[in-house]
This record gives sequence, structure tokens and C-alpha cells, in this order.
Amino acid sequence: MRELNIVGKRAPMLDAWEKATGKAKYTDDLSFPGMLFGKILRSPLPHAKILRVDLTEALKVPGVKDAISGKDIPKKKYGIVPKAKDEYALAIEKVRYIGDEVAAVVATSIEAAEEAISKIRVEYEALPAVFDPLEAMKPGAPIIHEEVPDNISATIRKEFGNVAKAFEESDFLFEDNFETQPVNHCPMEPQAALAMVDHQGKVTLWSSTQIPFFLRRNLATTLDIPESKVRIIKPKVGGGFGQKIDLYAKDFCAAFFAMRTGRPVKFVYDREEVFTCTRQRHPMHIYLKTGMKKDGTILAQQFRVVADGGAYNSTAPLMITLACFFIMLPYRIENLLFEGYHVYTNKPVGGAMRGHGIPQVRFAVETQLDVIAEKIGIDPLELRLKNAFQAGEPHPAKLLVQSCGFSETLKKAAEAIAWKEKRGKLPFGRGVGLAGASFPSGVSNMSHISSGAIVKIERDGSVTLLTGAADIGQGAETVISQIVAEELGMQLEDIRITAADTEITPLDPGTFGSGVTLRAGNAARMAAQSAREKLLEAIAEKMEVTPGELEIKNRRVFLKENPERGFSFEEAIKIYQYSDRPMPIIGRGSYFPPAKEPTTLLREDGNFSPAYSFMTQAAEVEVDPKTGRVKVLKMVTAHDCGRAINPMLVEGQLEGSVVGGMGQALYENVVTERGQVLNPSFLDYGIPTAMEIPSIVSVEVETNDPEGPYGAKESGEGTQLSPAPAIINAIYDAIGVRFKDLPVTPDKVLEALEKKSSS
Amino acid sequence: MRLPKFEYIEPKSLREAVKILSAHPSETSLLAGGTDLLVNMKYGVVKPTTLINLRSIPKLNYILEEKETLRIGSLTSLHDLYTSPLIQEKFPILSQAAREVGAFAHQVMGTIGGNLCQGNRCRFYNQSPFWRSVRPPCFKAGGEICHVIKKTKECHSTYCGDMAPALIALGARVKVIGPQGERIFPLKRLYTQNGKKPLSLRKGEILKEILLSQSSGKSIYLKWRWRGSIEFPIVSLALYIEKEDNKISLSRVVFSGVGEGPLEISEIEKSLLGSTLEGSIIDSVSEQVTKLVSPMRTSIYSPAYKRKMAGILLREGLDKLK
Amino acid sequence: MKRILKLNVNGEDLEILVEAHKTLLEVLREDLGLTGTKRGCDLGTCGACTVLIDGKPWLSCLTLAAAVQGKKIITIEGLAEDGKLHPLQSSFIEKGAIQCGFCTPGMILTAKAFLEEIPHPSEEEVKKAISGNLCRCTGYIKIIEAILSVSGREE
Repeated sequence: MRELNIVGKRAPMLDAWEKATGKAKYTDDLSFPGMLFGKILRSPLPHAKILRVDLTEALKVPGVKDAISGKDIPKKKYGIVPKAKDEYALAIEKVRYIGDEVAAVVATSIEAAEEAISKIRVEYEALPAVFDPLEAMKPGAPIIHEEVPDNISATIRKEFGNVAKAFEESDFLFEDNFETQPVNHCPMEPQAALAMVDHQGKVTLWSSTQIPFFLRRNLATTLDIPESKVRIIKPKVGGGFGQKIDLYAKDFCAAFFAMRTGRPVKFVYDREEVFTCTRQRHPMHIYLKTGMKKDGTILAQQFRVVADGGAYNSTAPLMITLACFFIMLPYRIENLLFEGYHVYTNKPVGGAMRGHGIPQVRFAVETQLDVIAEKIGIDPLELRLKNAFQAGEPHPAKLLVQSCGFSETLKKAAEAIAWKEKRGKLPFGRGVGLAGASFPSGVSNMSHISSGAIVKIERDGSVTLLTGAADIGQGAETVISQIVAEELGMQLEDIRITAADTEITPLDPGTFGSGVTLRAGNAARMAAQSAREKLLEAIAEKMEVTPGELEIKNRRVFLKENPERGFSFEEAIKIYQYSDRPMPIIGRGSYFPPAKEPTTLLREDGNFSPAYSFMTQAAEVEVDPKTGRVKVLKMVTAHDCGRAINPMLVEGQLEGSVVGGMGQALYENVVTERGQVLNPSFLDYGIPTAMEIPSIVSVEVETNDPEGPYGAKESGEGTQLSPAPAIINAIYDAIGVRFKDLPVTPDKVLEALEKKSSS
Repeated sequence: MRLPKFEYIEPKSLREAVKILSAHPSETSLLAGGTDLLVNMKYGVVKPTTLINLRSIPKLNYILEEKETLRIGSLTSLHDLYTSPLIQEKFPILSQAAREVGAFAHQVMGTIGGNLCQGNRCRFYNQSPFWRSVRPPCFKAGGEICHVIKKTKECHSTYCGDMAPALIALGARVKVIGPQGERIFPLKRLYTQNGKKPLSLRKGEILKEILLSQSSGKSIYLKWRWRGSIEFPIVSLALYIEKEDNKISLSRVVFSGVGEGPLEISEIEKSLLGSTLEGSIIDSVSEQVTKLVSPMRTSIYSPAYKRKMAGILLREGLDKLK
Repeated sequence: MKRILKLNVNGEDLEILVEAHKTLLEVLREDLGLTGTKRGCDLGTCGACTVLIDGKPWLSCLTLAAAVQGKKIITIEGLAEDGKLHPLQSSFIEKGAIQCGFCTPGMILTAKAFLEEIPHPSEEEVKKAISGNLCRCTGYIKIIEAILSVSGREE
């Protein structure tokens, strides 16, 4: 491979300057003359029929311009998975959780809108509610959606190999139950939307979204207008982590009111709405049975997973598919039986969150592996190494794993945490633990899997990149620009990028399933290559050589054999123009990854993703036996993310991911009581502060994936899979107590220690 | 979330403030740092028609040493308090407690007076109008019920301040000014242990300053919370001990987060009297205290856990001051 | 009732007509167009709305605009001088301490006030100083690095 100039550089994000100076514009920073402000009235009941909504008094509040309830909107369901659509933009006939949207108003001020909301009168008929998914599955439980009488809205039952036979052949069987908690994404920017309608009835929506093209589709559906009448523009987005994948009432309401009033309309969620009325990580009940041979070979695993979906589906079928398939990596599991259920309850709604269904099952697997290792007397590291999957092996689920550095991540993480010296050898209260994981680099987003890009070289030699990729703070625009700069031999600052505007930029699946670098990166690379070829053809003609003899680097086009002979980029453009070729030079790229749509994998086998990342995380913890407080001292991540296009941004992804994972292990929990969130604020919900963070070490394990651009793979999501089990395993090493439910808060640690000392 | 409308007044003197406050005490609120009050106003649980900004009054921000007495003006910020070399040297427990309030900005904005007068907290009360609309209003929000203990006739909201326990442990007194002039009384008596009306201030009274006598004992403030910042205490303990001939001659044991006001536990203080803290005394009082506090389920933390932590904190505090 | 407020924002004396119940955050964003100050929770717990008042960090969502007349208010827009970035801004950019950027303005301003108080802090002191400024993207690691790297250069 040729030497790289821009790819692999620790370049600051292109928009870091704007963000550091306060010039970056997020949705709520935008405003237009005559703009109206909206607020949403939400259900105080977990399950009820809506008998009557009276907007009269609300409409009398000075400044109020319009008000609607569910019966005023097109009766069109939406959802992120087409076949699992179960939600209206505003509740029609029935509310299904505390926070469900019932009515909305717009006014000339936020104050007036807030006042108007308090004047809406709603008559409900309360219905019996159910809050526990295990209860909701039982016959006779309250029915939350009429069309799903058993409340099980998505199911997967998948068997690879022959599990019953493998269990018979096992020397040891292990059975455990695990539970995980609901976790909120906590993007720092609350969800917002701003809509405007032009004279032809076209709606333009600025939205804090991470998948603009999918939002276009869902918004058109709910408004009951053609997609061509909807334009989505993604301004700066203040974090998403999966929570900004879904369409929300704020998107619909902004657009719908803009259509009704002819004025710009803005809706911004309060932090409480972000906590209660958007999405959260699915809590799960997990039963896991594993059959082992004496020598430490995993023969078979059986799972029964019940995910508490809350009131609506969101990504339900996809989430349980991911949970199932990513049991099949990073270990060699020849026999697997996976039964997964997504169950409705009258609670906040589950959705995609960093890791999407996998962190929960990973927690179960990695915790149980340590139980197994102890019982059969093998070092947990050795046990994992023994079962580690290798690149190129035939995979029982037909996953196509072309690069895999998992074994190396295990060894390197163990080395960095001083496994040999510390495991089992530290004083009481100190311990180390590790856990492995694998993640897809791009899954299909319900037929939105293709990614397109356009690279334009203008008359003055400047380069413009159009990409649909949605940068939500991870630095996608920077990474993709680096790829284009590399291909065109330019500097990063030479690339101008326009991204994530459905009217201007080509189709892209958005920030979803960890595929941005791979999908949009490949598309942009193709587009840059095609523009480059066009340019080189003209230069080759002028220099009377073949294009293959030319190189383009450091803003120069020159002869590989004799770098002295060549032209500056500007001269080259002139030559191109004087050769009577058409301007601008336009390169197009479209990328379609060789992978199946995940939900078809519910029925058939096939490859899930174009590439897979692998990682091992190791933790060192200190537990204060007096107070039960667990302090994570150090986290190591050895990560095979292929080639890092921008190592600084990869580190940033990893560090944020690890701290989030630590939050899930120790601090975070959306606590509900009869469906009501008791801690919908940063004061009461334990998102880690700077005081909690450990030292974080990242160890590079570079593989070169043939499918990813320059060998790049996923980097930001898989790293949130195994911090929790690594920490939980380290706690066991520290105090000899095994936790099977999250989060492990000080009260639980104290109680467990008391139990341990009394028994 | 918008603040409700109110009349905003910037008095030039405490006397003027007292006069305005006395006119409509139930509809008037005093603004100091605002970190507690404005949140409650956004939540719609405090709805003053008049807001008096005490920060407009000059000369209420001071830390002065006069003979045997240290005087702290009620508008002194927590940040000024803990950065004061005088406080750091003579009353390190105050510096310690002030550093534990909220985070940097809360310490800059928050005042000692505001902190002492901060509202009691409850998971059913410190919530938005939408959140509270799930249930009828509670006593504290003007209703007829306590959601924490349904059968009870009173509000059980919890005092969660950091400064009061530390100051009570030091035996602080406060000076208040009202329509009848000034009066001085022990800080402990500022708290009524009544969740609905936690402060004993009379109509029109304003906290003016805190008075501390120099003392010879050792003290410590221990705040228990799960994260190292932002949060109110789940339980906190201020402990003060004076010894004579290596025996405890005076102790003060004051908790926050376990009752309707800062809670001094005189039974423990009696048990500690005359002790050298050797032998089983620490074990026994740490056990004893778990039965003497009776926290309510006013947060996401269970009463049993709070009781347990009270014992753990007392043990830790006594171990450290031994 | 609206009243005329005299505010000094980023070195400029301004007169604006606003109601008494407006917070400084609302006035900055909605009346003065200074949208660099962010609304993250509106309840004083995330730190995204932090501005400097007389050099110290204040939560503008819990500050009445009327109450800060006569004080020097600095927002993120006023930090760079003569087009030259403040060292903290440069350091945040170069060290990768900015991802989504939503916490950045409050974080930088808090760090500025802190370094003026403690020019050569320990890592633990930095952590405590920024612990009221929440960030979900970075895990704080690069933010702490960025602050430590300029410590001592603050004058």
C-alpha cells in the first residue's frame, strides 16, 4: 500500500474551532422571524383510554396560535423498523406510558406555550397497567397494543448446530440468571426540531437527528405527504448515542404546525422529556446455560432473553437480532440456541443505544465465563484465548470474518493490566478483571444501507465533498474528509464538506450501527478516486504518459519515477480545463456493503456486517469494604478497529465509551415506580462526572480489513460492550462477590459483603 | 422551563428588605444565590409574587474576626468561605463542607445564608408540574396528603443541606433581623423539624449573619453520595469532639439527609461523654445510631440504607478523630 | 413588566428591555443572539450554560438577568481576543477535547476561572473543578489533558 499522508493523522476535528468559540449552531440555536414555540402535553397515566381532549382554554391563552390532539393528525403509524410500526406522533385513542404525547400547542413565546399546556383538559379512562415484562407475557395481562395480545412484539428463536446433543456431550453445565437496568443515553443536547414550509408546501426540518434520510421517510409518512415534500437538514448535533435515531413528536409537531400556521415552528425537549419520553437501553432478564468440556472448550450455549421494551417497539426486532448474533462472536460457539422476546410494558420506551442489545448479553456471557473458569480451574484469560474466534474460520452462523485480532486484544489487554502479576494476587479490596467483545462495522438500517458521496473539484482547485453522513459529534465529517484529502493528495483544510442535508447530499444510512466510516468512508473514497482519475487522465495526456505512472500528493501531480516532473494542483486544474474537458470535475461514489438486512436474519442465515471489530477490556478496581464504594482505578482497552483513520478521534470514541460503560456498571439506572421515572434529572441519575473517571489506557491492535476504507473498522460502539463485565469480574477478584444484576451500587456491595461474612 | 412572572425588587438595605418581606411574607421569596430557589420556581413548587434580591444589599458578604467571635455575613459565597485562609485555619470543617456543595459554579453562586435556608427535599416535591400531575398535590405543594407516608398528617420532606450540620457541630449561632429588630439564637433552633415549614424564622425575618466562637476541639464533615460531585448527601455527618485528659468532654453529632431538619443525636453525644474512644465504644455507638435515626423514603435511596450509612459514617468519623 | 437592563457582555455595554423573570441564559440566547451558551438541563446540574461573571463561573440558567447588572459577563463568544483564541480554546481543539461540542463552552469557561485561581493544579483538582460540567462524549480524559496542558500559561 502506498504511504499515507492524511489518513492515520491525529487531526483535530474540522468543526472544533466553531465549537470552541461558540459559533457552532445546534438546532435550538437557529431561529427565524415570526417563529412559534411549541410544547407537548403528556400523559400522567401509564395506561388509559383518551375519552376527550378539550383545547378550548389553551387556545384562549394570549399568544397561543394553534393546538392539536391525536385526533387532528393523519392516522399514520411510524417506527424505525417498517414491519414493527406501532406508534402515532400523538397518541390516538390510548396512552401507553407516563409521558405519552397527548396534545401540543404553539405560541409566540415559550411562556405562553407552557401556560397553554396546563390549560388543556383531558378525560381519561384508566386501564390496568403492567410494568414487569415477565408479568406482561403471562396470559391475562393487560394488553398494551390490541394487535399484540400477548404483549410480545418481537421474537427470535434461532438455533445453530445441535444444542441438546452438545449439552449431553458436555462435561459441565452452568446455568445463571442475569438482569440489567434501563440506561439513558444522556446526550448533552436535548432533542430539538425547527420546521418551515415554503410556498409549494415543502417542509424543511432542522432536527437533532442522527439519521436524516430515515427521518425524512418517517416524517413524510406521519405527515401523509410525499418524501419529495420533506427536506431534513442536520445542524450540529450534541451527541446521540442512538437516542436520536427515532422520529419524535417534536419532529412531527414542528412540521405539522408549520404546515397549519405557515410560520416557522420550534420544539425543544426539556431534560426530563429526554429522560422519560425518548428512548433508553432495554433492561433485560437473561437466562444463560453453557455446556463445557473439561479442557475449557465451550460446546454450547442456550439463552432466554426477555427485553423490557416499554410502550413501543422502536428498534425491537433489530435489537434482539443483534443480541442473538453477537453471542456468536468473539468466541467459537458451534451450538447456540437463542430465544429472545421483546415485551411491551407501560414504561419508557427502549431503543438503540451504543451497543444496541449486545451489552446486556455480553455482560451475562463474560460474567459467566469467569464463573466457569473458576469452577473448572482455568485462568479466565486462558479460557477466553482457548475459545477465541480466528479470522477466516468457517463461522457457524455464516458470518464472514475477514480480519480478527481478538486473541491479540486479549493478550495485550492482559499485559497492560498486569494480569499475571495481579489476578488473584492483590490484597482484599483490590482486583482485576477482563472481558471480550465483538461488534459489527455497519448494519443495514432497514434498506437504508447504501451510502453515496460526490466529490467536486472546482475551477480554482478547491474540493467540495457532499456526503449524507451525519456527524453527531464523533467526527465523521473529519474522518471522511481525511479520506478524500488522502485520495486527492490534498491537505485536510483543502476539503470543504457539506453533509447531511437530504436535498443536497446523497443518500446515507446515517449514524447507525457503527458503519459511518466504513460505508460513507468507502463511498467518499470512491468518489474521490473517480475525480482523481478524471484529472490524472488529462495530465497524463499532457505529459504523454499513462495515468498509472502519475502520483498525486502534497498538492502536486507528478511522475512516480521522477517526482521533479509534475505540476502543482492549481496548474493541473488549468491543464485539465485547457484540454477542453468539462468542469467541474465530479467524482461519484456509491457503496453497498456485502451484508444482509438484519431482520431477514431472523429467518435465514447470512453475513451480518461487512466487517467486525474486536476488543478486550480489562479493569482494575478498588472496593471499600466499609462503605461498599467501588472505584475503577484503571481501564484498558485493546481494540482491533482495523486501521484508525484518525487515532485521536478513535481514542476519544473509546474513552467516552469506556466511561459510559463504567456508568452502566456502577452508577446509572432509570428508576421507575408504577411506570413513573423517579430520577429524570442529572441530579438523581448517575451519569459519571469527572470525579469518577479512571485512568484509561488504549492499546492498539491494528488489523487490515479488506472491506473497510484503508482497512478501517468500527471504533465507537463496540467499546461499550465489555467495560461493565470487566469491572464486575474485577469486583469479584477484589472481594469474592459475584454480581449478576446491574448497576453494582454501594448499597448492593455492602449487602453482599454482609451476606458473605455471615455465611 | 420558564420562571413564572414576579415583581423583582432590589432593596438597598436589610431594613428595607424586612419591610417588603413583612408586607406579604407568604408570597415573597428571598433570592440569594438562586441555586435552590430558582429550580423550585421553575418546577412551580415555589410561586412568589415578589422576589427580593438580597445581593443588591451592600456589606453582607464578610468574614470577620472580632475578639473571640467569628462573624460570617449571610451573603458570603461558599466559594469565599472555603478559600478564606481564616476559615481554613480555624474552622476547616466549614471549608470541607462548603467544597462538597454541588460543584464549582454552585459554590460560587451559593451563599452561606441561602444554604442554611435551602428548602427541604422530597422525590414527590422537587419535580416538574408534569411529573407531579401524576398524583394529587402533597402537603408541601399546598395539598392534603403526604405521598411518602400516606396515613400521616404532616410533610416528611428531608433536609439535605451540607453547611448546617457542620455549623451546628461547631455550636454556631445566627443573627436574624426582623420587624422587631435583631435576635441571636443557636443555629440549631433555626430548624423546626417540620417538613412543610422547616425554618423557625418569624414573619419578616431575614438571616443576617452567623456567629462562631473559637473552639478547641476537632471536627470532621463526612458526606456520603455515590458520585463525587453535584449530588446532595444521601446521608452526611458533622462530628465535633473536645477532649480533656484524653476523654471526650463535649461532642456534637449532627446528621443531614435523615430527617426533616439537620439532626443532632444527643443520645450518642451522651454515650460518648467521658469515653477515650478505645475499646468497643465506637462499635456500640455506630450500631446505636442506626436505630436512632428514622429517615423516610424521600429519595431513591431506601430508609434502611440511610440508617446503615449513618452508622458507617459515625464509625468512620470517630475513627478519624480518635 | 419589562424593564431596561444595563448589562456588560463581553466588554460591551448593552441596554435591553426584558421582563424580570428572564434568566441570563434566556437573555443571552434569545435577546442577544449569543447562542454559544448552551441549555442542557435548565436546572443548574449540567454546567452547559456556565458563563463568567466577574471572572467566576455562574450557571446562567439559574441567574436572573436583572441581577447581574453592573457586572462583567463573559460568554464563550467573548473569550478570544482580537481574533486570537484563548489558550484553552486552542488546547481543547488540538487535544481532541471536543466531540459534540455541547459541553465545550461551559467547560472552557469553568476551566478558565479555575486556572486563574489555581494556575498549577493537580489532576485531581482539575477533576473537581470541572465536575459540575457534564460531558457524555469524551469521558473527560482529553478535557483534563487539555486543561493541564495550558496550566501555568494563564495570566
